[in-house]
Amino acid sequence: LVKWTSSCLLMFCNDGAHFQKNYTLVSHVELFLFDSGGKELFAEILDRLWEQPNALCIVYDVTSEESFNNCTKWLEKLRAQTSGMHIPGVLVGNKTDLIDRRVVERNQAQEWAETNGLEYCEISVKEMENYEAPFRILANSFHQLYKEKVETFRSLV
Amino acid sequence: MKFTDYCLRSEGAEVVLATSSDEKFPPENIIDGRSDTFWATTGMFPQEFIISLNKCVTINKLTIQCYLVQTLRIEKSMSKEPVDFELCIQKELQSTEGELQIEEFSFPEMQASYLRFIILSAFDAFVSVHRVIADVIA
Repeated sequence: LVKWTSSCLLMFCNDGAHFQKNYTLVSHVELFLFDSGGKELFAEILDRLWEQPNALCIVYDVTSEESFNNCTKWLEKLRAQTSGMHIPGVLVGNKTDLIDRRVVERNQAQEWAETNGLEYCEISVKEMENYEAPFRILANSFHQLYKEKVETFRSLV
Repeated sequence: MKFTDYCLRSEGAEVVLATSSDEKFPPENIIDGRSDTFWATTGMFPQEFIISLNKCVTINKLTIQCYLVQTLRIEKSMSKEPVDFELCIQKELQSTEGELQIEEFSFPEMQASYLRFIILSAFDAFVSVHRVIADVIA
């Protein structure tokens, strides 16, 4: 499982022979995930890691206003690098177990996600609650993207 | 001079490697002589496929019909096995919104028994390859 400690994750679907296996896609989606650190130290590596991404997942901490505000920065950085290509994704609010310390409300985050064309979900990694949801959302939206594109290919000739 | 397309299953061509394999859009669709069937890549780049031409032939022109391909690299081998590939050409293709990219490459009498097509980058998450034509002097 991917570490959820950092604020931004990027995700890819893989079945190239340039990677270790040659996959057959039946009706499953295999994700190739890059967990990218939010620290300034890693900023330069991100440019290389974020080449041609197909989906994104931004994780923020519901007990930190700053963490939530930074989502804008992460999304802008990604959009700048993918020049107008539609990239599906999900915003994830983590640490929902810390009820008393919560500062970012669900509808506030949900609204931001919607405005930016992202889906939204909340999880508690500590309590292992709902942690599969972001992965399902990513897999589904990526598969949806594939189905749509294949229809376009079919309509070309 | 008469030309024959050697990138056809009916001429003994085979796709011996492809990095994506959705069984609904298999790589064999590239060599079935039709433009309406296609091979679809299923995610990430680079992607590639290798066509075996049955024997070493002299190619004058290569044509590829594809969609959303950005950087394309073509290599060839004259060996009995698909090894020792040499670069033929690498090109940045233009985006053709809503219609097939049809790219022709002329080579003066190029010998090849295997052709390797590498899609290094694309204009979208997925690309399609509909047909490859290798004009060979009959």
